Amino acid sequence: MRRLTAFALALAMVAVACGGGGTGGGAQDLSAQAPGKDVKPATKITWWHAMSGVNGEAINRIVKSFNESGKGIEVEAIFQGTYDDLLAKLNTAIASNAAPALVQVYDIGQAYMRDSGQIIPMQAFIDRDKFDTKDFEPAVINYYKYQDRLQSMPWNASSSILFYNKDAFKEVGLDPEKPPLTFSEVADAAKKLTKKDASGQTVRFGFGPSIYGWLFEQLMATSAAPYADNGNGRDNRATKVLWNSPEAKAILSWWKAGVDGGYFYNPGIDNAGSTNAFNSGKTAMYIESTATLRNTINVAKFQVGTGLYPRPDSKPKDGGNIIGGASLYIMKSRPVEEQQAAWEFVKYAMTPAIQAQWQSDTGYYPVVKAAYDQGPSKEWSTKYPQFTTAINQIRNSPQNRATNGAVLGVMPQARQRTQKMIEAILLGQASVDAAVESAVSDMNAQIDKYNKANP
Amino acid sequence: MSTVTAAAGIRAPRRIRAGRIGAYALLVVGSLLVAFPLLITISYSFMAESDIITFPPPVLPKNPTLHNYEQVLQAIPIGRYLLNSFVVSTVVVIGQLITASLAAFAFSFVQFRGRTVLFFVFLSTLMIPWEATIIPNYITIRSIGWLDTYQGLAVPFMATAFGTFLLRQAFLQIPHELHDSARIDGASSFRFFRSMVLPLTRPALGTVAIYGFLSTYNQYFWPLLITNQTLMRTTQVGIAQLRFEESLRWGLVMAGVVMVALPTLALLVVGQRQLIRGLTAGAVKG
Repeated sequence: MRRLTAFALALAMVAVACGGGGTGGGAQDLSAQAPGKDVKPATKITWWHAMSGVNGEAINRIVKSFNESGKGIEVEAIFQGTYDDLLAKLNTAIASNAAPALVQVYDIGQAYMRDSGQIIPMQAFIDRDKFDTKDFEPAVINYYKYQDRLQSMPWNASSSILFYNKDAFKEVGLDPEKPPLTFSEVADAAKKLTKKDASGQTVRFGFGPSIYGWLFEQLMATSAAPYADNGNGRDNRATKVLWNSPEAKAILSWWKAGVDGGYFYNPGIDNAGSTNAFNSGKTAMYIESTATLRNTINVAKFQVGTGLYPRPDSKPKDGGNIIGGASLYIMKSRPVEEQQAAWEFVKYAMTPAIQAQWQSDTGYYPVVKAAYDQGPSKEWSTKYPQFTTAINQIRNSPQNRATNGAVLGVMPQARQRTQKMIEAILLGQASVDAAVESAVSDMNAQIDKYNKANP
Repeated sequence: MSTVTAAAGIRAPRRIRAGRIGAYALLVVGSLLVAFPLLITISYSFMAESDIITFPPPVLPKNPTLHNYEQVLQAIPIGRYLLNSFVVSTVVVIGQLITASLAAFAFSFVQFRGRTVLFFVFLSTLMIPWEATIIPNYITIRSIGWLDTYQGLAVPFMATAFGTFLLRQAFLQIPHELHDSARIDGASSFRFFRSMVLPLTRPALGTVAIYGFLSTYNQYFWPLLITNQTLMRTTQVGIAQLRFEESLRWGLVMAGVVMVALPTLALLVVGQRQLIRGLTAGAVKG
């Protein structure tokens, strides 16, 4: 998979080099970029997505109901492999003018999609139709904005939360209804929850997060610390990463102390491994995406609790959570009629009823708040009360550049580089300071190269 | 004296038997080690997800279940995927055998100017990474309208430099005198190729066939690239559909893997006898 990613990115560079620049200045009206209001929508469009299994079925359900809604438009949804596969295929297709009208791309591909010049910003349609986005979840929609203009429509949104084992909490005398919140509280609880057998082997660790770049991004956001300069790359293109800030070092030192102290488990760069460790009771707490919540509740043989994402002891009031997931882009290379049809579908998909159905089918956040008043969404909250934590967390997240999350053209590489950095620190191969400095200088060089290649 | 020899006579086979038991024990351990990934795949495919995640990881299913298989059948049209993969792989193998054996024959028996140079140019194509050719190939296939077709999946792989190289090395083992005497007896080049070269190099042909079959069967990116209809997709793309982006369900994936791997394993078992027969036939006649 990593090879495919590299491949996709190599292609990305080429496509970007040919494609031309970004969207340009301030908050001007973008309607001119959208097709005219009176363009008749095409009768058939194609949508590429990366959702398999249950999520894929949920997509087919939405498409089917849209096709039967009498709008005279037929959407064909095609599964194109993982996010990386899809992007690689998209690049190939763009080269020979075979791209679809609508395409789902993952969160960290947003700067690339914008810089490619191959998309019509969603804001163009919103401005043209004076489409109301007041009811959209701010934390979700802000993640896909550049210079306050929406580039793509959020589709599957998730966030990360603290998962904890209520049975283990009771066993060691912790209050199962009061999960730890700050770094110190997590560390203290983890020390209590760590259990050794007679031979001194640890049979249960207190806390076991995977070395996952996304989790580090989230920890930076709850620390109210920007990940990159120029407003996390949202006011202007980022020129350097800020992983050497005191906040970043505090996060890394906390993580390192936990692993060294033997009460944090280190599964390595392995998200599935950390999930399995928690589900099987090998760790009593961990942090992961809300998208894994339903599966964990269904397979775990203990009571699963959810808490707000960890943050520094000072609980910075500007700190909050970022979302992750993927969004929908309308492609410029298709005829205007198809773009129009794609927009019709996007509007349909954003109606509260469809969003509520999408949430209860998949466990992702609804993008529009009104969805929570719909039947399927209410049933879902009753069935999985743990999900309320996730909703409240996103709701209460203050909206600023730190909590909007970072956008970089080289975001996939940045994520990998932070993982390497964290691994080196946890394994004791480098001190926090040394590891951070070398990661920052590596990454800044890559950003510089990208920015020069995409003036 | 005679008692000693008798005793020795009895002891000798026993020692051999003991040695043989030891050898078999070693072989059993070795084959278990080699087959472990396959065995654990089969075992996991019969396990419920809540059993798989227990710690320490289980080896055998406590409550064997067919649930995963039912889920695979529900989730994807795996029968159709298998059919597609078989059709494409078989066509590719036939194509590769024809082109590679004819090319190898030219490179080993036919004298012409620039043969060596041409052969090295041929070989050097092995060094071109597939990433470099995939976009031109895609554009070609698209422009002749072969997206979503069997020919689009198969034709780009019908010639193989590796297979040609392998067969040329095998053909070079055939003494030139055979060729000469066949010519003297009035056989045409094609007759010699058909009735002497091909039967004598059956093991090599078998290797090329199996290698071609498996590598086509295991292709992922090309079929993903040029197919959009569910009905034209192949097995590996199908298995990818069982991998959920956010939460991996191992039991389901393993059941899919077993269903996809079994036909190739069966093919290997059937093909192996043929291969070994070909191998020994060649060895004795030398």
